[in-house]
Amino acid sequence: MPISEADTGRRYPPTPIYEVTAGKIAEFAAALGDQNPAYYSDAPLAPPTFAAVPAARAWESMFADPELGLELHRIVHGDQRFSYRRPLRAGDRITATLTIEKVRVRGAAVLISSAVDLHDTAGELACTAAATFIHSGDAA
Amino acid sequence: MSVVSREIRRVEVGQELSPLSVRFTRAALVRYAGASGDFNPIHFSDQFATDLGLPGVIAHGMLTMGTALRVVTDWVGDPSKVISYSVRFARPVVVPDDAQGVEVSFSATVTAVKSNSVSIAIEAICDGTKVLGAARAEVDLGA
Repeated sequence: MPISEADTGRRYPPTPIYEVTAGKIAEFAAALGDQNPAYYSDAPLAPPTFAAVPAARAWESMFADPELGLELHRIVHGDQRFSYRRPLRAGDRITATLTIEKVRVRGAAVLISSAVDLHDTAGELACTAAATFIHSGDAA
Repeated sequence: MSVVSREIRRVEVGQELSPLSVRFTRAALVRYAGASGDFNPIHFSDQFATDLGLPGVIAHGMLTMGTALRVVTDWVGDPSKVISYSVRFARPVVVPDDAQGVEVSFSATVTAVKSNSVSIAIEAICDGTKVLGAARAEVDLGA
């Protein structure tokens, strides 16, 4: 059964723990061409948009949810908003919990508004990543 | 580059941050895909991209978003000062399959100075068109 407005409020269990590592931070910063020394120290911070990496674990759970009937190659990212309580750092063990906040059907396209909370293993909220995804239908 | 602390009294509305221009190539998209774990085929396969009605392979929106924020973090120095950051992906950045890729230019302007934070509007231009809409970062410049 395809996604519909009735899926608003659907909440997924927290993802398995994602461990933030110095190597992954350096790789991500390099992919952005970003030489900020904060990302390459012995105890590096992650670039702010690195929050999308653990958040994506939760996005993938939603994209792969058989009850929604989504296809990855039909999905584009419409908007993205991050609110930070603190930066992610090497050594953080992060879970991502996704809630579908709104579903809007526009002909063959569906707009999915989602919010992902990133918590550390102490239960502290580090970041909320809110995103809208556009899933296009066969008419595209 | 050194990490610089900004003093808020020196920040004014209308102040322009140092702009940045980058070229996105297919190789840069592959690198970002691996670094981020985003393996959506529209970022490496022309066939999947055109099947979706796109002109060709497009950059990850998050690559554009992440690169755009460099204008802010280069300015503030300490990336942990970023409190919030939001964008709308207004237009896809189409990346040709050649060595030159496509140029994207980023600029940013201070739009509000509050008691201990600063709001910054960011622009990202590719082929004369804005590719990010409503791109805003809020930076904590308190003690």
